Amino acid sequence: MTMSGIASQSPRHRRKKRSGWRGLLYIAPAMALVTVFFVLPVLFTVWMSLHKWPLLGTPAWIGFGNYVRMVSDVRFMAALGFTAHYTIIVTIAIFAVAFPLAIFVEKQRPLVSAYRTIIFLPVVVGLASASLLWVWLANVDSGLFAPLMQRLGLTNGRINLLAGFDTAFLTIIVMVVWKIAGFTMIILLTGLQAIPAELTEAARIDGARRWQRFRYLTLPLMRRTMALALILSVTGSILAFDQFYIMTSGGPQNRMISVVYYIFNQSFVSFNLGYGAALSIALLAILVTISIFQLWLLKVGDERP
Amino acid sequence: MLKRLLAATTLAYGLGLSVASAETISMWVRTGIGDSFKEVVKAYNAAGEDKVELTEVPFSELVQKYATAIAGGQAPDALSLDLIYTPAFAAAGQLEDLSEWAKSLSYFNALSPSHVKLGTYQDKIYGLPLSVETSIFAWNKELYRKAGLDPEKAPKTWEEITANAEKIRALGDDTYGFYFSGGGCGGCMIFTFTPLVWGADADILSPDSKKATLDTPEMRKAVDIYRNLVAKDTVPAGSASDNGVNFLTFTNGKIGQQSIGAFAIGTLVTQHPEIDFGVTLIPGVDGKPSSFAGGDNFVVTKGTPKLEAVKKFLEYTYSMEGQKIMAKYGSLPTRGDIAGEVLEGLDPRLKVGIEAIAVAKTPYTLQFNDLINSSNGPWATFINAAIYGDDVDGAFSNAQSEMQSIIDAGQ
Repeated sequence: MTMSGIASQSPRHRRKKRSGWRGLLYIAPAMALVTVFFVLPVLFTVWMSLHKWPLLGTPAWIGFGNYVRMVSDVRFMAALGFTAHYTIIVTIAIFAVAFPLAIFVEKQRPLVSAYRTIIFLPVVVGLASASLLWVWLANVDSGLFAPLMQRLGLTNGRINLLAGFDTAFLTIIVMVVWKIAGFTMIILLTGLQAIPAELTEAARIDGARRWQRFRYLTLPLMRRTMALALILSVTGSILAFDQFYIMTSGGPQNRMISVVYYIFNQSFVSFNLGYGAALSIALLAILVTISIFQLWLLKVGDERP
Repeated sequence: MLKRLLAATTLAYGLGLSVASAETISMWVRTGIGDSFKEVVKAYNAAGEDKVELTEVPFSELVQKYATAIAGGQAPDALSLDLIYTPAFAAAGQLEDLSEWAKSLSYFNALSPSHVKLGTYQDKIYGLPLSVETSIFAWNKELYRKAGLDPEKAPKTWEEITANAEKIRALGDDTYGFYFSGGGCGGCMIFTFTPLVWGADADILSPDSKKATLDTPEMRKAVDIYRNLVAKDTVPAGSASDNGVNFLTFTNGKIGQQSIGAFAIGTLVTQHPEIDFGVTLIPGVDGKPSSFAGGDNFVVTKGTPKLEAVKKFLEYTYSMEGQKIMAKYGSLPTRGDIAGEVLEGLDPRLKVGIEAIAVAKTPYTLQFNDLINSSNGPWATFINAAIYGDDVDGAFSNAQSEMQSIIDAGQ
């Protein structure tokens, strides 16, 4: 009896095992790519971060020295603070613009695809090119904004937008929103369109008002889409670099140094590749933590629809 | 087989040294230093015998690219290196010691002293001057005339410059009296602004470059001069955010006065012949002039097999013929002993650039990039905060302490 039991189990077992190997084979190319282009570089970065690694000359093992230095590095803390400040403001700004736009272009109306295209257009411009374009727009002498505001009588004389922190920060926020909002809009649009029309109709028949329908129907059903848009936006903002590098070179009196900018400076201006690597690992840890927290906050994963 | 091949090549190298057969030297040069060096190479290659193969590398990437090339065994034989980086490269042990050969040159003592000083590390010479540029003060003669000033009279003090700037600004609209790149261009400002304090015998670093000595009465005075120029609206608003892109704003013809580089004399003469300008030395805060000696040093990668050929080429650039070509395309002569002869027949204003060499300084530090050149370094930040900010004392104390902490961290 026991024999027959084993005999009847083993082919199934074997099949399962074989299909397991086959599965591995199928994902092997992907795994190889991830290993070569992500896992190995990260491991190498970790290895570098444990050294004093100058661009020229020989690296020397210093254990966790770079990480200890990081904790008391005032400029790194300032960069973290600025990046957090920027991320919060720009994410709110992007959503405040992208959500109404998504609702606006969701309904079928005349010229809706033209609107969608126009709003999406800045997204296909590279961030670096967009930054360069805006440097020109914001240029006090040959640009657009300062002379325009002067002509309209809004300012007394020409204001150099990029010279003060507040105006430069505002310019960058407006630029990023102009550039990114279209992309967030498209993501939110797919979420909106995935909500069955019957549900909205049923709610309307039940007497739910416009705000109620949005609050209790649309928002909960868009949670996963929102999570995606939010994570993309937050991650992108934390990794911000181009706009600060190109538009303000770190801002008036260094007040616009983002974390990535600081890593770049440490690695390629000060030539401390080891310290730059340690900072990168810290940033990676921060990003993973934030992403996990956001997924948990938006409860993505449980109660699948 | 491989062994035999290797032996053969070594033999060939051995012969090459003794028999002087034609060789090809690979050399890198950074962008943005004009055509002078390229023209010398062209002339050298045309003369036959050895060849120089020139590769242009963007100036902002040269250090990284060179470091990577060394690691990969692909480094060029020689390099035209921004002179301020010579100490750092020499300290990293990547450069060939040229001391003995350099000192055997009959004109060694006539070579630009700032370059040789920067090329020296721990009493050994690793870099020799290749191209020389000094900072000078330029004024637009036509605007002087319009403002009722004597166009042939070079200003000697900053009081004079400020008064002239106000008169030129009074011409109205887009005409300004003065310009500088004040938006975090450390390189521009060390070049044009520190001569104000150097002239008064103060410096931003101690002679051994182990102490930051930014906060001096002379520097306070210099900052006040610039603040005053800004307060009197003689400087265009764009200056506050110019990170060096518009360094040559003087060439637009609407700036009355600006401290520029001697290379720009060549640029102005050849590309902006419509601008009638004069040049003089940059006055210090109390009138005694000074200048920044910049340019490139010639360095040789450690262990290059073509050392002799490289030396021969450098001797050519130091020859009368080589120097003349360099000067014609905008680089000042590197040899003081024949400078007068070299400049014969060239634009007389270049002579001011040469005079500047005698009073010029260059800071000597392994951390030039960190302290001065980086647009986020303490010097660049200080310039913007002290001249355009509201808290001058804070700007001084922040920059002073940050410079010191960078110096200390690098010890």
